[in-house]
Amino acid sequence: MPSSQSELGDTTGIAEELAADQRSISIAEFFEKNKHMLGFDSDARAVVTAVKEAVDNALDACEEASILPDIYVEIRDVGDYYRLVVEDNGPGITKEQIPKIFGKLLYGSRFHKREQNRGQQGIGISAAVLYAQLTSGKPAKITSRTRGRDEAQYFEVIIDTDENEPEIDQESTTSWDRPHGTRIEIEFEGNMRARQQLRDYVKHTAVVNPHARIELVEPKGSFKFERATDQLPAETEEIRPHPHGVELGTLIKMLEATDSYSISGFLQGEFTRVGSKTAKGIIDGFRDEHYGRAMTWTPPRSHEEADVEAALTAAVSNKGKAATADFASRVAERVGEFQRLSYHQLADVIDDVAGIIEEEYDVTFGTTVRENARSAAWRQILGGDADEAVRESLRGDLYGIIDEATSSRKDDAAIEGVADRLAAKFAGSDDNRHRFTRDEIADFVERSADATEEYDDITFGETARENVLEALWARMQTVPDDPPKVSAVAGDRDAASNLLAAMRAADIIAPPTDCLSPITAELVREGLEKEYAADFYAAETRDASVHGGDPFIVEAGIAYGGDLEEESAADVLRFANRVPLVYQRGACATTDVVKSINWRNYGLDQPGGSGIPTDAVVIMVHVASTNVPFTSESKDAIANVPEIESEIELALREAARDLKSYLNKRRSMQQRREKRNKLATVLPVMAEKVAEVAGREPLNIDDTMARIMNNVLVERERDGDVVRLVVENNSGTNAALEITDIASAEPSAVNGARVTEMDGEWFLSWEPTVESGDQAILEYELDASADVEMSVDGVEEAKLTVNT
Amino acid sequence: MSTETDARERLIDLAAQFYDQFERGSIPEMEVPTRSKSNIVFDEESNVWVYGDRTSTRSANSVRGAQKLLKAVYTIDFLADQLDQDRSSTLRELYYLSESWDVDDAQYNDQDESNQLIEDLEIVSGVTREDFHMRPEESGATVMGPLLLREQTRRGEREIHCQEDVGEGGYQIPNNPDTIEFLENEAEFVLCVETGGMRDRLVENGFDEEYGCIVVHLKGQPARATRRLTKRLHDELDLPVTVFTDGDPWSYRIYGSVAYGSIKSAHLSEYLATPQADFVGIRPADIVEYDLPTDPLSDSDVNALESELDDPRFQTEFWEEQIELQLDLEKKSEQQSLASYGLDFVTETYLPERLDQMNVV
Repeated sequence: MPSSQSELGDTTGIAEELAADQRSISIAEFFEKNKHMLGFDSDARAVVTAVKEAVDNALDACEEASILPDIYVEIRDVGDYYRLVVEDNGPGITKEQIPKIFGKLLYGSRFHKREQNRGQQGIGISAAVLYAQLTSGKPAKITSRTRGRDEAQYFEVIIDTDENEPEIDQESTTSWDRPHGTRIEIEFEGNMRARQQLRDYVKHTAVVNPHARIELVEPKGSFKFERATDQLPAETEEIRPHPHGVELGTLIKMLEATDSYSISGFLQGEFTRVGSKTAKGIIDGFRDEHYGRAMTWTPPRSHEEADVEAALTAAVSNKGKAATADFASRVAERVGEFQRLSYHQLADVIDDVAGIIEEEYDVTFGTTVRENARSAAWRQILGGDADEAVRESLRGDLYGIIDEATSSRKDDAAIEGVADRLAAKFAGSDDNRHRFTRDEIADFVERSADATEEYDDITFGETARENVLEALWARMQTVPDDPPKVSAVAGDRDAASNLLAAMRAADIIAPPTDCLSPITAELVREGLEKEYAADFYAAETRDASVHGGDPFIVEAGIAYGGDLEEESAADVLRFANRVPLVYQRGACATTDVVKSINWRNYGLDQPGGSGIPTDAVVIMVHVASTNVPFTSESKDAIANVPEIESEIELALREAARDLKSYLNKRRSMQQRREKRNKLATVLPVMAEKVAEVAGREPLNIDDTMARIMNNVLVERERDGDVVRLVVENNSGTNAALEITDIASAEPSAVNGARVTEMDGEWFLSWEPTVESGDQAILEYELDASADVEMSVDGVEEAKLTVNT
Repeated sequence: MSTETDARERLIDLAAQFYDQFERGSIPEMEVPTRSKSNIVFDEESNVWVYGDRTSTRSANSVRGAQKLLKAVYTIDFLADQLDQDRSSTLRELYYLSESWDVDDAQYNDQDESNQLIEDLEIVSGVTREDFHMRPEESGATVMGPLLLREQTRRGEREIHCQEDVGEGGYQIPNNPDTIEFLENEAEFVLCVETGGMRDRLVENGFDEEYGCIVVHLKGQPARATRRLTKRLHDELDLPVTVFTDGDPWSYRIYGSVAYGSIKSAHLSEYLATPQADFVGIRPADIVEYDLPTDPLSDSDVNALESELDDPRFQTEFWEEQIELQLDLEKKSEQQSLASYGLDFVTETYLPERLDQMNVV
């Protein structure tokens, strides 16, 4: 392409740069057995899928290198097989990349990147190569030329499906007329029964890629789709995944692949919107999930029996009386300052005080001594030496928490019962430090409440249970233990799952949206105009939204009238990241939304008021996202994600509103034309007859006709209970009217009319402004037997006709 | 109202109005009173209900309006021709006749449309349908009583005595009762009877002879000719008029149209209504007083009664009392339920008592 050649600019080295991103995942063999998942389940479909994957790749390659795509697709019947050739004018690929890109499944740079891209997962073209090899036994023939090279390189690639390793059979240099680009040729079993889908696919691709020139040559026809714009899609920013948008499997793979050592580094390095603060929040959540939280208890007060100081004094031996006493009293004092404290807070206090005492008294408080002190003091904090005392103390503490958390009307006995049973659970737990996960605490609460209901015959409902759980969890503390390292989490599915839960629970701002490249409403329109000869086009691009952790943009387009088929169901063109979706129309969220809209409201025929409208209309929906959620690997249908469905609906409705006003205008123009024609036949006949009956000269009625055509007409039509006031402004200026209908019964569904009742008569008033040449319809409901009469102000009498 | 000779002129004047509107360059239109319950008012002078001030406009500005006016002009042309040739036709014939007009847009869609248009033309031209030589399909009702009259028929003048010169069926009222001239009268009062069964009972029992009564058979909702004749009997012979119907809301409306005029022809009330007409029965009070066999009121009966309470024509003390009583009773009775006391009860007891009470006999 000479035209694009001159715009190429500095693209040397792009191929090499892209190659650096490649990573390999080995599942070739898996897909050999699951080719249906990739869209190769029938011979007919294989042709469409192979073309689709090759064209998607070609377009991506061009766009990544900022080249206006010029793509040639050829399908030829070569006896036993079909031969597919796809050529592009992209940057070409280097010798090192060629076998990797075309030979290895799930081996694209995109799997690890968050960027709006056609293929998204890099399984496409390699699957086509593999399918060709499995059915024809022939290698993929690849010709590629990077910019500035004198010669092109030629390869034949075969995949070792056991090893998922590509092998280069043949390698040579060759001449090629394209200055840069890639050509792939594969042979495979297939048939052309899906010819229509194939043609649709290419045509629809041309609609959403107005910057591309595409040529299709197949055994029974050839098609050229010319470029409608020289404007390349906006370049997309690659973004890292958002913590809310990853699955467990992906997370584990990322953990395995990362260079980071700590979870914090991993989170900040591999995800978007995660800084140190967010990372800390996630890690705290992760700790809570992974280690549980530590329960805090109120330290004993002076009036209580438990005595931290005495217990400490008893627990420390051989440290000298003064040092021991000082230690015990300082720890007890510090403990007494806490409202509530946990085991690890107590440990901090003891370590702290022990350090001071060691310095002041020149004694050593070894690990054993500190541990003894900790146990003894903790026991007192829990309630005292006797088990009974512990249980009693915890019960009192818990009573206060439960009482505060539950409604004020809660029966004392219920709180008592739950507190007592919870106290037993805490006291009896194996973990002396009182560390529990949220699930464990929830289990405590459930069992205690169940037992209270069963034995004490008092209800303790769901809400109360949840409140108690929340209150307990809020009083527990995140433990200071370091989170496991990346390598440990990567190797432990449960730990990874805990991390994922913490990531999901964390409050993180939505991902940036500059990674998306919508077609733009203007180009959607141009694309439709280019491929469909219609009378009217509307297009709408929504603002970006987010689902899971992935940003997305929905665009809709509508073409109406012209050469489009009126009697058959509307064509619904579905696109994901500029790729037409050809199969599984019925399973697609797009189709569901189109069917759910009442198109009659927008002036289209729709039998039964739901389903695909039956009218001369093409409806287009494009979903662009860093991760379009598909229903299956073959990427034929968009999954029913509520956020996406809602955006699709809004986009369609916005475009449909434009259609409606166009249709209304057209209808009213048509009505006026019909009226003009009708009056132009009726009135001359009337004038002739009038002259005949009156026995006078034939009449010239031009002035009357002119007046009718320049008048404001207000007409009332009644159809059962529906009253319709039609205001028709045939004059050259806008008309601001005051219309009042006086009804003898109470009207309903008055659509914005001001209604006043006076002596059993209802006055309905409107003040519509009707533009020159336009018409307004005011509708309301009124019992068919009721009387109405009208008065109209705002237009001088000579220019007004009221017809009731 | 009008004499026949100027009926044609008035129609042509109407066409000339349209002509003038065209000539001025304005949009042809025709304004007629709104024909609805809410647009009838009591005319103190004539004691009848006539149309109020509200009007509807038929304008050529819309397709619908233009077609209406076109039909009006074609109809005027037809009526003018008919009068010229001294022919007459029925409303139904007019409807079918329009099929033969050369312009499709001038043809009627249904008979309601042509009937309505004739009413419009009556109102706008001030000429009655009868003077257009338009008549309804049904033959008029009958009269039996001591009255000698002269009718101007198409086949010459006929002198008829309404007891001696007629069979049991009585004298048939012509479509245009203004062709009748009253010659001799021996009657004391007029009794308008709703149903054929009761009318035959009265004749069989010789009630007309015994009480000097002209029995007018209304045949349900009375035709214009019946009402016109009744009014003339009252106005010209100074006879009290009484109305005897079933005891249900629909029958009260029959009385209403005799006495006060109907909503559809309120423009002719002055010409058709007999405001002095009195209601004999069956009254709701009679159901109690005579312990008559009854039927329960249906939902539509109740609605009709309630609608009558709103009807300006029935807003009198007598009617409000009777209607409210009936709504309480939730019952209705037919004229012929009087037969539960024997075939002669109505002529020997009920009517003499009631008419005496009403100071008619």
